[in-house]
Amino acid sequence: MLKTPDWGMMIVLYFFFGGIAGGAYFTAAIADNVGGPRSSRVALVGYLLSLPLVALCGLLLIADLGVPTRFLNMMRTLKFWDPMSLGAWAVGVFGLFSFVSSVMCFGPFEHMARLRRRIGLIGMLFGFFLASYTGVLLSATAQPFWSEGRLMGALFLASGASTGMAAVSLILALTGGGSNPGLAKVKHADRYSMIIELVVLALFLALLGSAARPIVSGHFAPLFWGGLVALGLVVPLVLDFVGHGRKALGALAAVLVLVGGFILRYVIVMSIQS
Amino acid sequence: MARTLAMFTDTSLCIGCRACQVACKQWNELGMEQPEWTGTYQNHAHFTDSTFRLVRFMEAPGASPSGDLAWLLMSDVCKHCADAGCLDACPTGAIYRTEFGTVNINQDTCNGCRYCVSSCPFGVVSFNEHTGTARKCTFCNDRIHNGLGPACAKACPTESIQFGFRDELVSKAGKRVETLKAMGFKDAQLYGADQKGFLGGLNAFFLLLAKPSTYNLPENPKVPQRNVVVDSLLSIGSAVLVGLGALLAFRDRGRGDGGGHA
Repeated sequence: MLKTPDWGMMIVLYFFFGGIAGGAYFTAAIADNVGGPRSSRVALVGYLLSLPLVALCGLLLIADLGVPTRFLNMMRTLKFWDPMSLGAWAVGVFGLFSFVSSVMCFGPFEHMARLRRRIGLIGMLFGFFLASYTGVLLSATAQPFWSEGRLMGALFLASGASTGMAAVSLILALTGGGSNPGLAKVKHADRYSMIIELVVLALFLALLGSAARPIVSGHFAPLFWGGLVALGLVVPLVLDFVGHGRKALGALAAVLVLVGGFILRYVIVMSIQS
Repeated sequence: MARTLAMFTDTSLCIGCRACQVACKQWNELGMEQPEWTGTYQNHAHFTDSTFRLVRFMEAPGASPSGDLAWLLMSDVCKHCADAGCLDACPTGAIYRTEFGTVNINQDTCNGCRYCVSSCPFGVVSFNEHTGTARKCTFCNDRIHNGLGPACAKACPTESIQFGFRDELVSKAGKRVETLKAMGFKDAQLYGADQKGFLGGLNAFFLLLAKPSTYNLPENPKVPQRNVVVDSLLSIGSAVLVGLGALLAFRDRGRGDGGGHA
């Protein structure tokens, strides 16, 4: 009897890129604030990566509307209990932070590094919000599978952080020559995020119980277990521990984490709508 | 605020003529749709973007007073909930509550994000591809603001659908349940009449002859937004953990004099 919203690939991609943007910015802000000069490239890549992604997020959201020209109607109200309303505002505010932080990495602003770090600390909170509110948005619907596990937001946040770190590490690995101390630190942080994501995912499935059926059994199950749990979480963790320091394996692990992050959003959004 | 208006649908009086469904289509100028074969007289299977009133036909074994098969009819409609999930979900303010307590979607404001569609506990709100907006029963907003009842209630030949002030209809409905129980319909019950019950009460409430689940209605529908606070707090918890992990990884061990801190 319940109706699903017919959200398709554009929303899946939005959830995915929003997670990466929030995670990359947060990684950059932490690196900028506590990483010291050796992590400066992490901060640069993270800030700069979040900017095009959050712009893409906004475009995807607008394109998915039934009447895209009315997208500014989202700004008519601000409802604190409504994830969709807060989210629309957050994309804009986070975009602003992302823009300012990116600009402040260059030229005449370079000497204002202290200010940039402060801004990063505040923008980081909006990054966390962007990465996690999409999960809370799904849980505030009438759909049992979306609403009965209390950890959808927590899961999206951990996944957003780990995919954001994976994207940053991949860019560092592909662009930086020689050994990069920042890269090792991102990899290290990503390992924590993936472990947190695995634990949250297990708790999430336990809380959902039989409501988890759309992803744990049925025809989305192979994608969920094989694509997300095995290839997207367990294999990259093993690669990180076993292939210590080897660049190609590290890059492969990062790619797998990104693929897993996409599959997570895909199976959650699509499994009850097809 | 004006006195709350309501629709009371007494399913025990419904003869399944679907005059309400037709009247709704005509008054609201809702488009024609491909019929759907549901195996019964019911058409369509669910509410659509052009079907706001829908007569449901249910064959329920053992639900008649004599324990035989019961043929249950119910003219279903948007419930105009006091705690409306669609209204809370709407990010544009297109969905609003009128001074009569009904819930309406402003078609000139809705931008078609479709969040309300997944937030309705009854699957009422539907997306219209042509207008790009969400649509549902308006409680004939134009009619009730001009002293007329909704088209469906006006068309109903058996007074199965009644329109009026909510408090008056609720007391009338209570008496009707007593009458039906005395006649042997032991499962006769009101659905959504109680303002202390689920969703703060429904402004379109029903008299059912069997359990709500027999009519494919949820026994205890909940406001979807109830999850927001707990889920947000758990997300913050997850953010703290991830943040601590990153701090641990990025902390610059080379800085400082190497002593002092354990």
